[in-house]
Amino acid sequence: MRTLNNYFYILLIFCFCFLPLSGCKKTADAPASGLQVVTTLFPLYDFARTIGGNKAQVTMLLPPGVEPHTFEPKPEDMIRISRAGLFIYTNRYMEPWAETVIKGIDNKKLTVVNAGHKVRYSVAASSEEDHHQAENYSSHDHKGMDPHVWLDFANAALMVDSILDGFIAADFNNADFYRRNADALKLKLAALDGRYKKTLAGCASRKLLHGGHYTFGYLAKRYNLDYHALSGVSSDSEPSASRMIELIAEIRSSKAKYLFAEELLSPRLTETLAKEAGVGVLMLHGAHNLSRDELNKGTTFFDLMDRNLERLQKGLGCTTK
Amino acid sequence: MNILEILSYGFIQRALLAGTLIALLCSVLGVFLVLRRLSLIGDGLAHVTFGSTAIALALKLYSAMSLLVSMPVVLLASLGILKLTEKGRLSGDAAIGIVSALGISAGIILASVGGGYNVDLLSYLFGNILSISREEVIIAAGLCVGVILLLTLYYHELFAIAFSEELAKVSGVSSSFINAVLVLLTALSVVLAMRLVGVMLISSMLIVPAASALQLARGFKVCILLAAVQGCSSVVIGIIVSIMTNLPASATIVVVNLVLFALSFLLRRIIYSKSNN
Amino acid sequence: MHDEIVSTKHLACCYREGKVLEDISFQVQRGDYVGIVGPNGSGKSTLVKALLGLVAISDGSAMLFGSPLPEFKEWKKLGYLPQSLHLVNPVFPATVHETVGLGLLSHKRFPKRINGKDKIKIDETLKELNIYDLKHKLIGELSGGQLQRVLLARAIVNDPELLVLDEPTAALDPETRDRFYTMIGSLNQKRGVTVMLVTHDSGAIGRHASKMLYLDKKMLFFGSFEQFCHSPEMSSLFGEHSQHLMCHRH
Repeated sequence: MRTLNNYFYILLIFCFCFLPLSGCKKTADAPASGLQVVTTLFPLYDFARTIGGNKAQVTMLLPPGVEPHTFEPKPEDMIRISRAGLFIYTNRYMEPWAETVIKGIDNKKLTVVNAGHKVRYSVAASSEEDHHQAENYSSHDHKGMDPHVWLDFANAALMVDSILDGFIAADFNNADFYRRNADALKLKLAALDGRYKKTLAGCASRKLLHGGHYTFGYLAKRYNLDYHALSGVSSDSEPSASRMIELIAEIRSSKAKYLFAEELLSPRLTETLAKEAGVGVLMLHGAHNLSRDELNKGTTFFDLMDRNLERLQKGLGCTTK
Repeated sequence: MNILEILSYGFIQRALLAGTLIALLCSVLGVFLVLRRLSLIGDGLAHVTFGSTAIALALKLYSAMSLLVSMPVVLLASLGILKLTEKGRLSGDAAIGIVSALGISAGIILASVGGGYNVDLLSYLFGNILSISREEVIIAAGLCVGVILLLTLYYHELFAIAFSEELAKVSGVSSSFINAVLVLLTALSVVLAMRLVGVMLISSMLIVPAASALQLARGFKVCILLAAVQGCSSVVIGIIVSIMTNLPASATIVVVNLVLFALSFLLRRIIYSKSNN
Repeated sequence: MHDEIVSTKHLACCYREGKVLEDISFQVQRGDYVGIVGPNGSGKSTLVKALLGLVAISDGSAMLFGSPLPEFKEWKKLGYLPQSLHLVNPVFPATVHETVGLGLLSHKRFPKRINGKDKIKIDETLKELNIYDLKHKLIGELSGGQLQRVLLARAIVNDPELLVLDEPTAALDPETRDRFYTMIGSLNQKRGVTVMLVTHDSGAIGRHASKMLYLDKKMLFFGSFEQFCHSPEMSSLFGEHSQHLMCHRH
């Protein structure tokens, strides 16, 4: 009996101990030369690595698949920031922890960029009658502002400007190099904007129905779509049954064929709604973060946005002229 | 919106059905757990599920497949809590605290050293009572029937052990076996039901109906029945209230439970002051 | 039928702190009424718990009804009344009737059910101990003496052949205590129940006990009640006054 008990304890300890070891290979990359840049979310990471090219070493804080609201920097992250020349975050609505982290870093050479400081913010509501709902759902630290600014490609271009300013401030010697890369990036963003405008001009439905948290407001506004999300921007908010019934009614009355869900998040609620309303589910990418597989494949912001466009085209029944 | 129209929605029907089944299961288990001072085991095992789901996702096992990893780990953890109380000279709450801290820290460490995931862990971990599928209603029903059946078969042994472990042993009840039955059934219920209705609902369903029943029950069987009645009615009332007031369903069910507890508490005070006069 | 109900050989028993009991050897025959006495902390409760398998034996052996302790399975022959006040959770919602019913579990096979016949038996036992009117009360609502009788009812409802009582009168007033001992005595005499009674209540035990066991970590005396009363050794250990009080049967 006693030996049996001992086995039990050993097994229990074993279960919890051996697993963390399997992940230890990842970290501690060799320190590369050039400007060290730390970014928080994926769009910033992708823009910064395009601007920085081979003259900068860009890393992203958020591990793949992790929700930015619940993220907490590790000691290693703090060390990385304190050794970096440039730190870029989106805005205080998106990463409320970023400003606190910066206060705790003792690095006089660090240039800090709030990439969202030039962009035009919108309240997280797609239309007038939705306004009261947005207010109900948004938690107070978001102050009702939609933090997903990069999904408006004009805003994305403004973010590129802010990031470029940061690069120049941190590493003036390569200013021309960075500027050339940023200009090319902005041209690509403009082209992406053009593709969206063209494709989304002729759609059977203009209602973008999303069975999840409010994410795609900027996108909808820019291309004149009517955006309806199940719940507010805060990932903590939970939809009420009556809101679900409203959205089902909305789907039925709009004769939409698809309901959208957000990648990386569990599609359970969306699937429930879609089944109830008799429509299909299509995934859109919010691009805050990537899955581990996407990161390993080297997926870019433009890959994600082109994939989103294909799905929007399918979901809204758009015909290119 | 009238009630009949609301009830025509499939997801509302499934929420009522599966919610009631899970409430029945949790509130009956809860009476034994509260009396054994293991009330927080629901939360503790939820944390272990978090840790074990982190393992599953790191191994790229999703939803149903991740149960293959988390189920054995959580069952083992529940036995671990039991062993700590039996052999470690620890009370139930301390043992639960230790195992739960182990679970959550293992999960957080895995989440960061595992190089991230392909999905958001928390959104997959906790279900919502409004998004229960037809298959999950069947799972809830099977779980409920299984657990209630076992609790019925072992009713007197569980009662005897909850009353006094020492006396139960002298009556020939194998306490280690019955204790294991209790914590394993709890672990099974927590792992499965957490995915259906979320952890907040589970842990409150394990504690609050039992706590109310203890205020009013005159007899052990009556206590279990009262707890079951409160658990089930709180789901029905909670969902209806949440539709009428436009509030999230799970939180409303929890609040209904707390209101029923407050009423039981007051009722007991009134009965006592009357019998003393 | 084994007439040797309890027997131990060189039994030793320890808690983690060190040995509590050492080298205990004695036999209890059917129909005996054994009084177990000794100072506080002498290991009386530990001995009883060791005999019931509640505490592990570290050395020697013990037999119950002819089977060595780890293999003993005839729990229905046992009745046990523990030191009640430490045992019962006052908020436990069980009624007196339900509590007494737990005493019948040792007779049942899986799945254990309480049937109509059992209910009659429970009622009879409650009447016998004069607590039938408490039937629907919650155990948390009872006085110490009432609770003691309920737990005794629980211990005897299964008609045990051996009744083990651990300090049963600690919570009782003198009058109730006398009634309690009379009750145990009549169980011993009329039904032939073997009794082992732990007590430091020397005044009351003498009226019924047929054998005495004096314990102070070691067993210092085991023999008939008469021998105990005439032992000069016990007289010096136990105190002449106490010995007289106990042995002077009224």
